[in-house]
Amino acid sequence: MISGRLIIRLLAFIALVAVIAGLFWTQNAAFLSEGNIRALMRHMSVQGLAALGLTFVIVVRQFDLSFPGVASLGAMTLGWLIASGMPLSVAVCGGLAVGIAFGLVNGVAVARLGLPDIVTTIATGGLAIGFSYFYSNGTSISQNFFMSGILDLNDRKILGLDMPFAILMAAAIVGFVVLHASRFGRGFYATGENRTSARFSGIPTRTLIVAAFAICGMMACLSITLLVASSGAANVTAGNQLLMPAFAAVYLGAALFGRPSVGATLAGTLMMSTMLNGFTLLAIPYYYSDAIVSTVLIAAIALFDPRVSGLFRTLVAKKDKTA
Amino acid sequence: MAGQTGTILAMRGIQKRFGDVNALDDVDFCLGEGEVHALLGVNGAGKSTLIKILSGVYSKDGGTIEIAGKAYDLGSPRAAIEAGVAVVQQHPELVGDLTGAENIFLGHESAKPGLFSRIDRSGIAARAQAMLSRFPIDIDLGRRVADMPAVDREIVAILHALRLENARILILDEPTSTLTEREKASLFSMMKTLKAAGIAIIYITHRLEEVFEIADAFTVFRGGRNVATHTVKEAREKKISIPNLMLDSDKGLTFPPRSQKTDGDIVLEAKNLSAEGLFRNVSFAARKGEILGIFGLVGSGVDELSKALFGVVAPNSGEIHLKGRAVRFRSAAQALQAGIFLVPGDRRSEGLTMDEDVVFNTTLANLGRASLGGILRFGDNRKQAAALAAKVDLQPPKLDRALRGFSGGNQQKVVIAKGLYRQAEVYIFVEPTVGVDIGARSKIYSLMREISRDAAVIVISSDCDEVHGVADRTVALYKGAPIGAPDRATTRDQLLSAGIMGEMTA
Repeated sequence: MISGRLIIRLLAFIALVAVIAGLFWTQNAAFLSEGNIRALMRHMSVQGLAALGLTFVIVVRQFDLSFPGVASLGAMTLGWLIASGMPLSVAVCGGLAVGIAFGLVNGVAVARLGLPDIVTTIATGGLAIGFSYFYSNGTSISQNFFMSGILDLNDRKILGLDMPFAILMAAAIVGFVVLHASRFGRGFYATGENRTSARFSGIPTRTLIVAAFAICGMMACLSITLLVASSGAANVTAGNQLLMPAFAAVYLGAALFGRPSVGATLAGTLMMSTMLNGFTLLAIPYYYSDAIVSTVLIAAIALFDPRVSGLFRTLVAKKDKTA
Repeated sequence: MAGQTGTILAMRGIQKRFGDVNALDDVDFCLGEGEVHALLGVNGAGKSTLIKILSGVYSKDGGTIEIAGKAYDLGSPRAAIEAGVAVVQQHPELVGDLTGAENIFLGHESAKPGLFSRIDRSGIAARAQAMLSRFPIDIDLGRRVADMPAVDREIVAILHALRLENARILILDEPTSTLTEREKASLFSMMKTLKAAGIAIIYITHRLEEVFEIADAFTVFRGGRNVATHTVKEAREKKISIPNLMLDSDKGLTFPPRSQKTDGDIVLEAKNLSAEGLFRNVSFAARKGEILGIFGLVGSGVDELSKALFGVVAPNSGEIHLKGRAVRFRSAAQALQAGIFLVPGDRRSEGLTMDEDVVFNTTLANLGRASLGGILRFGDNRKQAAALAAKVDLQPPKLDRALRGFSGGNQQKVVIAKGLYRQAEVYIFVEPTVGVDIGARSKIYSLMREISRDAAVIVISSDCDEVHGVADRTVALYKGAPIGAPDRATTRDQLLSAGIMGEMTA
């Protein structure tokens, strides 16, 4: 099943990450210290979960710009439920339910009512941000956090892995099975690549689009749960930092591996997190990170575009011939 | 070549290839000054490719074009317009909210073009009226185009095409397809005036009777070649059969022997099936063990009929019976579930996921069979796809190759493999061999025959010889209505005249 081309892409990716890591390491030896690698993996876990959810939406060739807002609402819902004394499991499920609910709204609006996805999800995202102020008028919530056990989601370890990274791995395995080993995965890809032929093949294309948005909303809220756990408070602006890195990770992965997939998104996330972490170590101010991520996103979109990547391939092929 | 007067257009040795398909192969085409020249041929024969080259939409791969004795390259639509070629598309793109006069001068509103130059409405109206007054017709150019009848819109489109003074060649692509007989008369009188003014007209039509009404000469295209150019006078005197010229009777094709079985169980039955504006009163019974053929030109409603049987187009009235029970499908998924499989006419956009491989496409229409508890059975899928690829003779039999990398014929074989994997009870083939080379065509026909042993097969096509050659019983659809009922005794010529002219001549 594993083709030669995939192995080449994988090797190229590993080489690329090694080169980037090597560059940072020469600048600051602390880059490869255990503490920093753990920090990098925590960061990657938060970003990766959101990017995994977005992957489904990108596979069906739609856009979701609402998930950062939805994640903020999820964070505030989670915080409010904890503050009002609910058990942790209920609070987490409540947060995820918010994500699923908004995802369903997005999906129905786009797939059933035929509304344009970009504008619709901007609007629902704005709606979610508005709602997130209801709980506390916009102040952050942290009552009961110590007692509830939510901090364990950040601090505990499973099988030697930090809890956030373990959660990312578990989500990635489930995502991989759904997208790459199940009949539903076939449906997602068929829907994205040729909706008419998918419909004529009996694939429930609309239902799958709704499902993709629901998964995206839920994963954004799962991602924000980890962020709330690590910061110890729920904040109305919590989701703001998810949008660009998630898109950059999905598109970067797709550019590296030829199409969006769970593996590609993980690879894209690893690369984004490595870069952001490295720049932080080099004491490049955090506010430049948006610019860095945006630059990577543009480059990735250009490479994912078949015309540009075709050009790129012919350039590489020419080089191969001359070499 | 025709034309006592000078030759305005001479295209020689025109070549055009799309991938591995020769769309135009060494085509010569000449047009006399003031001549109305009909361009005939079934779909895919090369008419529109020639027109697109002449109007600068496609660039030719070889050959020369001379207009009024001067060589042109016509590398862009602009170059063609400057050379004097005016085109009216089959469905002219007019702006419904503007008046006829405004549409005529769309993009040329002002005598002095500039970013802020004012649109001179009364000037436009006067100029448009002046143009119109050259013709023996009178329409209200001050009306919104959206409110105009079809023929007025056509006239507006023609005037728009002729707005530049230099137009010498006018191309009309099936202008009468939406017109009534009365409306046709005013279009024809306009054409006669243009002709008298020395403008040569290339006239594309599917209605053969119009050739004798309006044209001076005609050219028949078949398989990317100019197979015949005659004056209408010649054709009358020598009694040349245009339908026979249009259809290739000797393609070196082999059709499998017909079925002797006539009493198979009726699997799918249509009873007075109608869909508003698409087709009406279609009745037939498709039996297991035989192939039912429906012949119809593009626009005759055959494609929509196939989609109605497959749950994609909703019929207004009439019934579909499947194995004796009335059914009403609301989606393709329901039709598939009930045992109907459609091999769609446009396989690239409706039948295949072009960037995915053979295994993916083969199993896509039956993911229930391809998975166990929702998880794909990769090994089994591959095994089944390999077996089906061998059965349909996929060349090359590379299961990991994306569909984009196969020829048209082999792509079609994958669609058939997909249908076989579905194990349906009714197979509907629409235009099964468009863009398919001869070797693959014979294979596809024999596969259809093989499938018909265990299922009902319906073949729907605009290729009369294909329908007649492969099907056991045939019927033609003309402008949405069936001509007669499916019959074993229908001859090829009867079927042809029924589908092209709407009547069964003996």
